[in-house]
Amino acid sequence: MWALELLQAVFDGLLFGATYAVIGIGFTLIFGVMHKINMAYAAASLAGAYAALLILQFVQAPALVVFLLAGVAGGALGLVIYLCCFRFMPLAAPLAPLMATIGMLMLIDEAIVHATEGMPLPYPALFDDVMLQLGEFTLRGDLLLVFGVSIACMGLMLALLYRTRLGLATRAVAQQPVAAQLCGVRLTRVNALTFVLTGLFGGIAGAMIGASVGTLSPLLILPVTIKGLIITVIGGLGSIPGAIVAGLLVGACENLFQFLRGVTERDIYVMLLLFVFLVFRPGGIFTPGRGRD
Amino acid sequence: MNLRSTTLLFACTAAAVAVAGTGAFAQDRVVKIAGFNGKTGVGRSFGLNAEAAMFAAADTINRSGGVKLGDGARGRIEVTFYDDRCNAEEGISVIRRVASGDAVVAIGPGCSNVAEPLYGILQKKVGDASDSGLQMPVFTDGAIKVGLARISEWAFRNVPNEQEMYKALFAWLRAEHPDLQTVYGGVEEDFAHSRSTWYAVMKERAKEAGFEVKGETKWLLADTNFATQVRELKAAKADIVALAAHPFTACGVLKEMRRQSVKPKVIVGLTSASSLETLRGCAAQAEGTYIPTSYAPVTKEASAAAEATARFNGNADLHSMGAWENVYIIKQVIESEGVLAKPDTVAADRRKIRDGLAKLKETDGLLGKSVRTPDREAIKPFVFVQASAGHWKVAHTPAR
Repeated sequence: MWALELLQAVFDGLLFGATYAVIGIGFTLIFGVMHKINMAYAAASLAGAYAALLILQFVQAPALVVFLLAGVAGGALGLVIYLCCFRFMPLAAPLAPLMATIGMLMLIDEAIVHATEGMPLPYPALFDDVMLQLGEFTLRGDLLLVFGVSIACMGLMLALLYRTRLGLATRAVAQQPVAAQLCGVRLTRVNALTFVLTGLFGGIAGAMIGASVGTLSPLLILPVTIKGLIITVIGGLGSIPGAIVAGLLVGACENLFQFLRGVTERDIYVMLLLFVFLVFRPGGIFTPGRGRD
Repeated sequence: MNLRSTTLLFACTAAAVAVAGTGAFAQDRVVKIAGFNGKTGVGRSFGLNAEAAMFAAADTINRSGGVKLGDGARGRIEVTFYDDRCNAEEGISVIRRVASGDAVVAIGPGCSNVAEPLYGILQKKVGDASDSGLQMPVFTDGAIKVGLARISEWAFRNVPNEQEMYKALFAWLRAEHPDLQTVYGGVEEDFAHSRSTWYAVMKERAKEAGFEVKGETKWLLADTNFATQVRELKAAKADIVALAAHPFTACGVLKEMRRQSVKPKVIVGLTSASSLETLRGCAAQAEGTYIPTSYAPVTKEASAAAEATARFNGNADLHSMGAWENVYIIKQVIESEGVLAKPDTVAADRRKIRDGLAKLKETDGLLGKSVRTPDREAIKPFVFVQASAGHWKVAHTPAR
């Protein structure tokens, strides 16, 4: 019975971890392309999810439409972040975009608080009352959907990166920006499109978080940002497969630690996990281990 | 001057005399009151509602002639509202700023994590020359954590007394449902109010009423996944589930309870969850939940206060209506203690207000008389509300 409960907790976490993975991919892809961290990414993702709720003020839209709109809004916000925090920042000052995105994170957070008065808003969900029963083992229908959508988003993003000209250009810019420019790749365009694409997937991830919680609250912004960063580090900065595995791993570990040690110690162990990776595997999951030197 | 102009002049003069007779023109001095609460961050709605309630109360008082000062003059109440971001450092900075200005009293804060350290920088004992703490009366309307006012003799609170409320609620449940035997708690472990309410109030009062408390499950304020906690809750098979949690996580837990088909016979909620937020977030899942609250629009005064607050874009709830009551109590104290509201009497006026508040044995509240305790707290009248079809409806009014 204990083992079953443990397995159940880990599996719940694994399913929920799919949303972390999508957020982690956004962080890591932007880092991979521009070698800069976008601290406002998770905030923009949740802002996209919030923005999609606006349609419900006018029409009774199905949940799927809300999810897609969240993606569109997330993409638009991604472009705004690129223009405000990266496009015109001097290349010689790497701290400038980092600080700008921290400012943007706070701005988006406060804008959401002002627009909603800080109140949690109900978020449309699909299959939120469906529970699949496999003996003693239960699976939440909405989390399975979230998992499925997140996996589909990851697959789509990988396909875009490895099967399209845009993906080729993006990877070229990520590896050798000067060489890519010499080959005719338009750096600004590729960077802007990277932000739009990651914003689009981020918006959908934000909507998935809203759908799985059933509510959106500004309270979510900081924890999701921190988780996104943890996943980016554990998965390896710039590694998309790493972000996917790290997202699922962090989701599962969170629930495992909570089950074994309680909620008050849970985050300590997640941080310890991050520390272990930073010391013993600083390049993340998919890079070979190397010495601290 | 033609006849029309003369008539107009006469009419204006007559109107001016008539208005002056009601006292509106005679408000020749300003009584400055500082309000503060969180208007930034997730507690923004608390701040906005408290601000609206204070402005509405001051406006209602000013329209009906203002406040009578110690030398017979009439004064107009002017409220300046500050944002403490529900943050202790910010709250301390606000109270220092207010104390260096000319406000005679401060009403706030709304968050217990602000109130506790903020009371700590006030003078502990009145008249203690060796204590350089601030000598500023602070009359709290929202921060509800049990027993805080004893920190300083300049601190007063008009907040619901949760000990009394949950004692009455569990006793009533015992009487109404003799078949109920067991209670299991769910607590937001990292939030001062929720935590203290479960461990020091709900749990103890439930035991006192003869219930067996089978334990508690815990989560954090920003948690999103409650599957493990609800499984613990399900395994406990308690008759009553008591949720010491604010709307965001309370709704998360209630939704997960529905998914896992956890159906306790009774659900009890935290006082702060008897708000619009809970109903907006999860009205269907919260159906039937009982919460004790010190505000419900059940009296003429309570309904009028809610309407006046709505005109200032605020909602009436147990927190914001505390702010409304505080403005009225301050008016009463200003009049009884002979506050002068002159620029050179600020310190003396603050002391008069402190002493006046300390003297009060009873105050008028929106639901009836509140008793003032020697440790500067209030025992306010309260009712039990129950979530029903998207509204909070009064389920029971305990006898006092």
